This record gives sequence, structure tokens and C-alpha cells, in this order.
Amino acid sequence: MNSNKKFFLMIIGIIGVVIFWIGWVSMNPADEKAMATFVSVDELLEDNITHRTKLGGLVKDGSIVISETNHLDCSFVLKEGDLELNIKYDRTRPDLFKDGAEVIVTGQYVNGVFYADELQTKCASRYEGDLRDENSYNLSEIDS
Amino acid sequence: MMDFIRDYGLILILFILPVIFVIQPLFLPMIAKKNIQVDVTSLKRKKLLIYRQIKELEMEFDIGNINEQDFSSGRADLKREVSEVIAQLNSL
Amino acid sequence: MTPIAGSVAMNLAFGFSILTVLTLILYTRNGDQRLFLTGQRLALGISFFVFLATFILAYQLIQSNFDIDYVARYTSIETPFVYKITALWAGQSGSLLFWLFILSIYATIVILQNQGKHNSLMPWVIITLAIIQMFFLVLTNYVTNPFKPTDADFIVANGNGLNPLLQNVTMAIHPPTLYLGYVGFSVPFGFAISAMINRDTSPLWIQSIRRWALVAWLFLSIGIILGGWWAYRELGWGGYWAWDPVENASFMPWLTATAFVHSIIIQEKKDMLRVWNMVLIIITFTLCIFGTFLTRSGVMSSVHSFTGSSLGPIFLTFVFLIMIVSFGMMYFRRNVLKSPRKMESFTSRESGFLFNNMVFVVMCFAVFWGTLFPVFSEAVRGTKITVGPPFFNQINIPIGLILLALTGIGPLLAWRKTGKKSLIRNFTFPIITGLIVSIILLLIGFRGAVVMSFSLGAFVTATIVTEFARGIRARQKKLNESIVMSLVRMVSKNRSRYGGYVVHLGIVLMFVGFTGHAFDEEKEFSLKVGESDHVAGYNFELIKLSEAERPNHYAWISDLRVTKIDGEFVTNLHPEKRIYFHKNPDPNRRQPHSELDIHNTLNKDIYSIFSGVDSENGVAFIKIMINPLVEWVWLGGYILIFGTMIALWPRKDQ
Repeated sequence: MNSNKKFFLMIIGIIGVVIFWIGWVSMNPADEKAMATFVSVDELLEDNITHRTKLGGLVKDGSIVISETNHLDCSFVLKEGDLELNIKYDRTRPDLFKDGAEVIVTGQYVNGVFYADELQTKCASRYEGDLRDENSYNLSEIDS
Repeated sequence: MMDFIRDYGLILILFILPVIFVIQPLFLPMIAKKNIQVDVTSLKRKKLLIYRQIKELEMEFDIGNINEQDFSSGRADLKREVSEVIAQLNSL
Repeated sequence: MTPIAGSVAMNLAFGFSILTVLTLILYTRNGDQRLFLTGQRLALGISFFVFLATFILAYQLIQSNFDIDYVARYTSIETPFVYKITALWAGQSGSLLFWLFILSIYATIVILQNQGKHNSLMPWVIITLAIIQMFFLVLTNYVTNPFKPTDADFIVANGNGLNPLLQNVTMAIHPPTLYLGYVGFSVPFGFAISAMINRDTSPLWIQSIRRWALVAWLFLSIGIILGGWWAYRELGWGGYWAWDPVENASFMPWLTATAFVHSIIIQEKKDMLRVWNMVLIIITFTLCIFGTFLTRSGVMSSVHSFTGSSLGPIFLTFVFLIMIVSFGMMYFRRNVLKSPRKMESFTSRESGFLFNNMVFVVMCFAVFWGTLFPVFSEAVRGTKITVGPPFFNQINIPIGLILLALTGIGPLLAWRKTGKKSLIRNFTFPIITGLIVSIILLLIGFRGAVVMSFSLGAFVTATIVTEFARGIRARQKKLNESIVMSLVRMVSKNRSRYGGYVVHLGIVLMFVGFTGHAFDEEKEFSLKVGESDHVAGYNFELIKLSEAERPNHYAWISDLRVTKIDGEFVTNLHPEKRIYFHKNPDPNRRQPHSELDIHNTLNKDIYSIFSGVDSENGVAFIKIMINPLVEWVWLGGYILIFGTMIALWPRKDQ
């Protein structure tokens, strides 16, 4: 076998091993938090999906309840269209988490409550507000 | 109105100057191709490159990364290449 | 000057870009030198008008001309001067113009630097660059124009202001550095295309782009490291790398570019791997455009992405065009791309380089796979499955460790073929070093990837030390110099080689830092003044909770006293909870921000976040993270930069 062929086989071999490895990890991730399925609230409720999922929606106004005993414990209602879903979350909340915020939660749906372990708010590093709101105030009013 | 004139005046200047700069060469007399010049510079670069390879080969040998046989055959190859380049340079 | 001048300048630049391409193509047909000169000047003209447009936008930002939508969106009257300028790249359209601005700087340098040189290569290099400029000019002119007037039926009294997260020095430097890297690869790409068209694929074109590639690589590296540093110091989730799509978008071209800067050495010295180098630079450049696309497409949800964008399809089309044209050209030029020499042995420096290249590309593919997994899974199975950091870590840790091993093995192999005797001699000391370290670590009780990483790190460090030592000894034997003299002369005579070793050392330190991640600990708790809680052997007592009003925000300041469990004082930490735009009557437009405080040592960082406050009851919510060895990542970064500078430092004869 000439050396060119040997190298060729070697390269094919490496590529084969790596594709196998990537495929294997994709099928059997070691950490259960490695993957999450993006679903809509509709799908989640209808199919009663209990494996790890990711949901996007808005925080319903006035729905944020923070526990009296442990201030990290928090529950709120996620709205997607007309559908609503109770969320429980017990970790540090992002700065931009508030009524009406657009959030993405990751976690599991168990018996009517979604237990989230990840809570992301949109627009963390980009800030593109709606200019029309500027109509409501101007600088001099605020300073006074 | 003044603003209008000022702005468009500026734009006009900023437009016309580059255009003159750009089309100026088209009014030059025909220039002959300078191919020979090109060859000299690229040959010189090639020569420098081979010299450096020889130096590096010597260093590798001094360190002990190459055996005697590879070193001498490698250096002979490079020397042959560089003498070809020098011959080409001299012929120009 | 009014914004109209900016629009005019961008339109003129677009017109000039078309003329440049036409003129230079005509020149390559008939060879009239006057056309070449005109083409060159037209190309300079594109850049001139782009500079002009950029300066006009900057001027508008400084002047706070809120009649321009972009100015109103990203600055306000209170925005400090510096950040009015950095707002140039804070938003979609501005950042595209800024991309173009940097490309124009590069294009100008290439044209001026190569006047009278590379007369056969230059026309096509300029054409390629002009086409890239043309593409971005189409975007800034007709798709998202930074000079678009404010779309409002009222006079905008004040703008939105720049996100406070972006108002710090790192964030002012990070995007431009990253762009300098991304855009920098346009130049080697241009030379590659030109070399193919000219059927001249000998090592000479590689010579002319080696430094360009290295400069772009350096900027890309710095950009990525700065991004990590910013995330770590500002975002407050305690890490520096999240495998976020946009981070991956910068990491992928970095991987292929790293492969490229290695494999061009082979082509330069041995005239091998011609095809491979072409493939690498094409992929790298495509990934740079693809990265610019990912941030703007809305395909990926990411903290970095710009909102509501229509650029996706246009960018994708451009990416496909680049690939089709480049690879098509490779197919038509397959004859000239055949390398005259072949690999001879597995145990040669050449094959070491080849394998390192393979692994880099494979890793890039793994990252690509994970990044686009949601897209793939949706196409194949109809469900959008996202993958998180654990997935990327699991896949990439073994690949990364193989790379680390190759970093050590490669330099010890000889060109062409390494004999058995020198194999044994070269590898004895490094392997023994690695083994000793691994045995010690196993005895202490470490297991798995941690042991591998540290031992391989020791192995690589040992190879670097051996390389330096043997080089110095060889010189001393021959020239009778002092050690210091030998070192200095040796390095300065072989800059890319020894600079490269220094970069490797930086990489080793970074791996040490990455490995520290395995020992991270964290805890979240709430404290009233006087209370304390503990984590990982440290005790945290809330001494004081104060409030302050500062010019652009309101702050709650905690005073945490950190002691070891046995009472030994460690440090005081002052994480803050801030509210930006606190005077805004609309509470929804006020922006909370956690300003964290870090106590860093080489050994570990104590990272404190003031995550929330209950001001009625005087309760502070604190999150503490103990992150071992993070400092090593930044240290490695400095060494990487230093090493690249050595490799780049010009020699007198260049």
C-alpha cells in the first residue's frame, strides 16, 4: 500500500470515528440538561410532555409571586397568546425579569406546573426599545 | 437655503475630486507592461525564502531533529533550487 | 453636514464598487495599465466614501441628531461621549457600516502596500474585495440604512440611550476587535481566489498572506477572549463561555483559521497541502460571513442577536454564492492545485500538522453541528431541539484533549520522517513529566478528564521547554554565546517558530483554566445585616447594606465580609444592585443591573452577585460562586497575544 493511500485511509478513519462520536453524544447525552425540546405552551398542555422542554412567552402582568420564607422561590404565569401556564423557579432571577417581560424558560412540566431551572430574558445585550414611548416624557420633566 | 447650498456644495466637491482622481490615469499615454520588473521581485523573494529554509534546516540538524542523511539530501535539494533561481535572476 | 451626505456617500461607494469590478475585469482582458491604475483608484474611492459615511454617522451620533432613527435608538443626550462613538456598532445597520469601514481600511492597506508588487495577483484581489464591499453596500444602502430618518410623527426629544451593559471599556473594544478578525480573513481569501484564477498556486501567494492571516487570527483571538472576559465580569452568571450560537459563530472560524495558520507553514516550506489550504481559507472566510449572518438572522435565539431582522435570506444567499464560486473555481483549477510533493511518513512534522488540522476542522464541525442542531432537528423530526453547554462540553472535551496532545507531539517530530532513535530521545522527558504529574494527581484523588488535561498540559510544557533548551544548546555549542544571548538571537532569527511555541504555552495555561471549571461551586442565599452563610469553606457576613444615588443610576450596595471557616479574614466584597434610567416615570423602562464583585487570585475567584433586594425588610439576595483557576484563562490569553506578537514582529529584510 503506498503512503498516499495510507494517509487517505487514516483521514477517512478519523472522520468516521468523529462522526460516530458526535452521533453517539447526540443520541445519548450524558447530562439530562444537555438537550431541550422547543415547544409551544399549546403543545405542552395538549401532549402533556414531561421530558425537558423550552418555552417562550410573556410574564403575565401581576402574576409574579415571591415566597415570604425564601426569596429565591418564585412563581409566575407565562402567557403565550391566550394560553397560560404556571411556572415555578427557585434560582437567581435575571435583572430584566419583570411583568410583561419576554422570557424563555427551560425545565419540566409535572402535574400542571412547569418547574424551570433556567430563565432567560430576551434582549440582554441589545437594547432596541420602541421610540414611540419617548412621546410620553422628555428629559426636563423627569429631572424636575 | 444656505444649509442646502453648503451641504450640496460639499457633496459636489467630495464627488468631483475623487472622480478626477480616478479617471486621470485614463488620459496618460499608454504604459508598457512591466512584466520583467515583476519577475525580478518575485524571484528575489523566492531566493530569500529558500535561503531561510536552508538556515532553518541547518538549525533543525543542529538541534537533532533530522538525521545526517536527510539533512544532506535536503540541503542539496534546496541548494539546487536556489542556484536555479540565481541563474534565472542573472539571465534577466 | 446633514445625514443626506451620508446616504450619498454610501451610494457613491456602491457605484464605485461596480465600476471597480468592471474596470479591473476589462484590464485583465486587455492588459492596459491605465485601466489597472484607474481600477486601483476606483477601489480606493470605495473606501474613501465608506470612511466618509462612517464619519458622518459618528458625527451625527456625537451631535445627538435624533432625526436619524439609528442615533435615537442607540444614544441619548446623557450618553457619555465615548459611548456615543461606540454606538456606531451597537445596532444592526451601524454595525454593518462599521464592518464595511474595517474592510475598507484593510482594502486600502492592501492596495497601498502592494503597489507595483504582485501585478498579476492584485487585480483579482481588488476585485474580490470590491465584491465583498459591494455586498455590504447593498445591505447598508437598500436593506438597513443607518441614515434612515426617524419614523415618528413627533419630534424625538431624547433617544433611547445605550444599554448600560454595553457601557464599559471591554464592550467598547470587543466588537471592533472581533470585526478586525472576521474582516481580516477577506484579504487572504482574496489572494486565494486570485491565485486560483491566475493558475499560480505555488507557495508565493501564501508568503504574501501569512502575516495577514496571523493578524486576523490575533484579532479574532483577542475578540473572543475579550468577549469571555466581558461576560464573566458583567453578565453575572459566573462563566465566560456559554456555547451561545453567537459565541460559536466566532469560535468556528477561529478553529479553521488556527488550522490554516498551521497548514500554510507546510505549503510555504514543503509546497504540500495546496488543496487543503484553499479549502481552509474558503471555509474560514465563509464562516466569518456566516457568523455575521448568525447574529442578524433571527434564526438563533441568543442574548447577542439583533432583534427583528430581514437580513437572513440575503446573507444566506451570499454565503452560498461564496461557496459555489470558490469551490467551483477549485474544481476548474484542480490541475494546478495538485501538490508536487507527498507525505512520506506518519511520524513526520508534516503529518503532525495534517492531523492537527484534521482535528481542528472536526472540532469546528462538532460546534457547527451543535449550533445548528435546532435547525437540523426541526427539519428532520419536526421538533426544535436545542442543545446546551453540557452537550458541547461532552463532545468537545475529548477532541480538545487530543488537540492539546498534538500541540506537544507536533513540534517534536522531524520533517519528512522521525527516526526511532530520535523519537525515543525527543519524547522521553516530556512523557515522563506527563506521567509523573498524572500519577501525583491520581494519588491525590483526581479522576478522568481533569487528570488528562493537567498531565497533557505538563507534557506540552515539557516539550516546549525541551525545544527551547535544545535550540539554545545547539547555538551555544556552535557559536559560544551566553544563554540569554542565545535565547534572544534564536528567537529573533526564528520568530514564527518560537512565537508559535509561546502561543502554545498560552493555550496550555488556558486549558488549565478551563479544567478549573470542573471544581466550580455555587450557592444562593438571602442575608439580613449581621447574618452570614457559608459556601466551599468560606463564610460570608453581610456587614452593611447601603443605598446611593449616582448620576445615571440608583444603587444598593452590600458590604460582605469574607472569612475562611476558621475565621481568617480573606477580603471584603461589594456587589451592587443598580437601577439604570431610575428617573424614568415608566417603571418598565427602568433597567435593573447587578454589578458584581470578584476577589481573584491565581488559585480561585470568589465571585459575588447581588441578585436582588427586599428594601422593606433589609434583605439582600446574594449568589456566591467559587470558580477555581479562571485567572489562568486570562493569563493564557496574555501569553497567546505576546507569542503572536513575537511571530508577527517584522524582520529587517521584509
